[in-house]
Amino acid sequence: MNAADRFDLGGGEPVITLRDVAKSYWREDLEIPVLQGIDLEIPVGAYIALMGPSGSGKTTLLNLVAGIDRPTGGSLEVCGYDLNDLDDDQLASWRNAHVGFIFQNYNLVPVLNAFENVELPLLLTGAGRGERRDRVEQALSLVNLTDRMRNYPRQLSGGQEQRVAIARAIVTDPDLLVADEPTGALDAKNAEEVLALMARLNTELGKTIVMVTHDPKAAHHARHQIHLEKGVLDRTVEVNR
Amino acid sequence: MIGLLFALPFLTYLGWLVWALVAYPIPLSYNLRSLWQRKVSTLSTAAAIALVVGIFVVVLSLAQGLSVAFVSSGRADQALVLRPNARFELNSSIERDRMRILKVHPMLKRDAEGPMASAEVVVVKLFPMADGSDTNVTIRGLERMGLTLRPQVHLVQGRWFRPGLSEVVVPRKMQGRFPGMEMGRSLRMGGRDWQIVGAFDAGGASFESEVWSDVNDVMQAFKRESYSVMAARLEQPERLEGFAKAVEEDKRLQLEVVRETDYFKELTKAGDPIKILGNLITLILTGAAIFAAMNTMYAAVAGRTKEIGTLRALGFRQREILASFQWESIFLCVSGGLLGSGLALFVNGIQTGTTSFETFSDVSFAFTITPGLMAQGVAFSLVMGLLGGFLPAWRASRLPLTEAMKGG
Repeated sequence: MNAADRFDLGGGEPVITLRDVAKSYWREDLEIPVLQGIDLEIPVGAYIALMGPSGSGKTTLLNLVAGIDRPTGGSLEVCGYDLNDLDDDQLASWRNAHVGFIFQNYNLVPVLNAFENVELPLLLTGAGRGERRDRVEQALSLVNLTDRMRNYPRQLSGGQEQRVAIARAIVTDPDLLVADEPTGALDAKNAEEVLALMARLNTELGKTIVMVTHDPKAAHHARHQIHLEKGVLDRTVEVNR
Repeated sequence: MIGLLFALPFLTYLGWLVWALVAYPIPLSYNLRSLWQRKVSTLSTAAAIALVVGIFVVVLSLAQGLSVAFVSSGRADQALVLRPNARFELNSSIERDRMRILKVHPMLKRDAEGPMASAEVVVVKLFPMADGSDTNVTIRGLERMGLTLRPQVHLVQGRWFRPGLSEVVVPRKMQGRFPGMEMGRSLRMGGRDWQIVGAFDAGGASFESEVWSDVNDVMQAFKRESYSVMAARLEQPERLEGFAKAVEEDKRLQLEVVRETDYFKELTKAGDPIKILGNLITLILTGAAIFAAMNTMYAAVAGRTKEIGTLRALGFRQREILASFQWESIFLCVSGGLLGSGLALFVNGIQTGTTSFETFSDVSFAFTITPGLMAQGVAFSLVMGLLGGFLPAWRASRLPLTEAMKGG
């Protein structure tokens, strides 16, 4: 692992551009800054691990990039859209089209089986039943779970659940995958499988991945690590694999 | 107009929900399975809704039963002649001289036995009921033609009364509600014993609340000098107004004529106290049921905040979440509504009675559950689902996304 120039993530067309982004929360009259002065360009095909101590603002930064939260200052362009220009409905459609989500606790809908969970984001795309079926089967095949597509989340192991969640994240073929502690609830073996799968999505399918993690082993799978400290970018580290 | 003002937003919202059902992509199976996943709370709430809807339908069935009793009593081609402003047979009196003139009126229909008119007397007598309480029962004295004028009345046991023998026939449905009305027994009325010689059925009409005998026997026993009413069939039913005018303006008569159907429609007001009481009970229970549905749905939203957050993150919009949870609430309540309407069927046909505040006498009728009433019950549960589910569904749709995704 070599220390690289600050925030230089290599050349290439940026998929994420942050200019002086700030985020604060208010508790009554008290402003609590969480992120300040974030300037960052992430090129297409990057695999970034956002790291930092608890409270450093990494999940907040991930939420901003994924269009889940809005900044209180600065501009944020992701996948060709200035997110500040989008209203809530437009932002929802944008998320559906451009972002795939991978959560720490998988966030599968318990009353839907694996197939139906993966199909959920496709329901918003207007794709027909046949096309949806093909795409769900393709996504589940990519995560090696075609034989479990009728199983409900309670009938799957943690690793399998996370693989279903990954299939759901890629089924709409988004440009960007965001992952919040994707291995945080998994044992070492399953964590390794999930990280290998994410690396494949990055190298073989060219997905840009932004992952929040505390785990150095998980961060080692990324190409770059961005460290945050008290709401500001601290340093970038290029990972030698 | 005011009702429409209230109904308009409600109907618009319902219309939007129906549209959302087709246009929005969250599958209904998601809501149905979510309800089933919380079996205990779903079933207990549905049971509470079923109880309320059941009571609602049963109350409506009482009013329906009363309405059937009165509506099937009258015929559009028949009229009742009463003393002016008497309103009801019991308050009316027509002297014998006037009755003689009336019965030969040229506008009355005739058959082989003569004019189709029956001079009748109506009195009430206190009878003990099977439950130990007492109630007034209408005693109708009528002529033979009176039977012809009521073709819906059929003898089901024994024979009709004969004049001069103090005989009565009783409604079969009263026999269960009043002790001592079996065939062969006798009733003590007007200082005499009256032999029960027959039982009749009137197809649910209000005559099933009356004991019938010969008009002269009743007048003698109850020391009546005048009749109460004349029932008659008209030669030309469409000329009832002409007959009424003729009877009113004839100096020898000066009586009031009402179409039988209108008369009995007026009597359905006997059901008003039941309706008012029933509506009051239903209103209170409805409030409780709406809160039960609301509570269940709030719990559902609270337990699924992360799920809601996930749906929102995947791209589902706030209004899609609102419609989805609103439908879930509607399913919950309508399932209770279907159950309640179905359970209400168990009382269908059960005979009961009330005291008419118009005639101060007992009115027998049956709980009458119709498909229309059951549909009203289900529609009522839909309204409960809408009202009970709106606030929780609104909350679900407005959960801050970042908070929802952290939720339990």
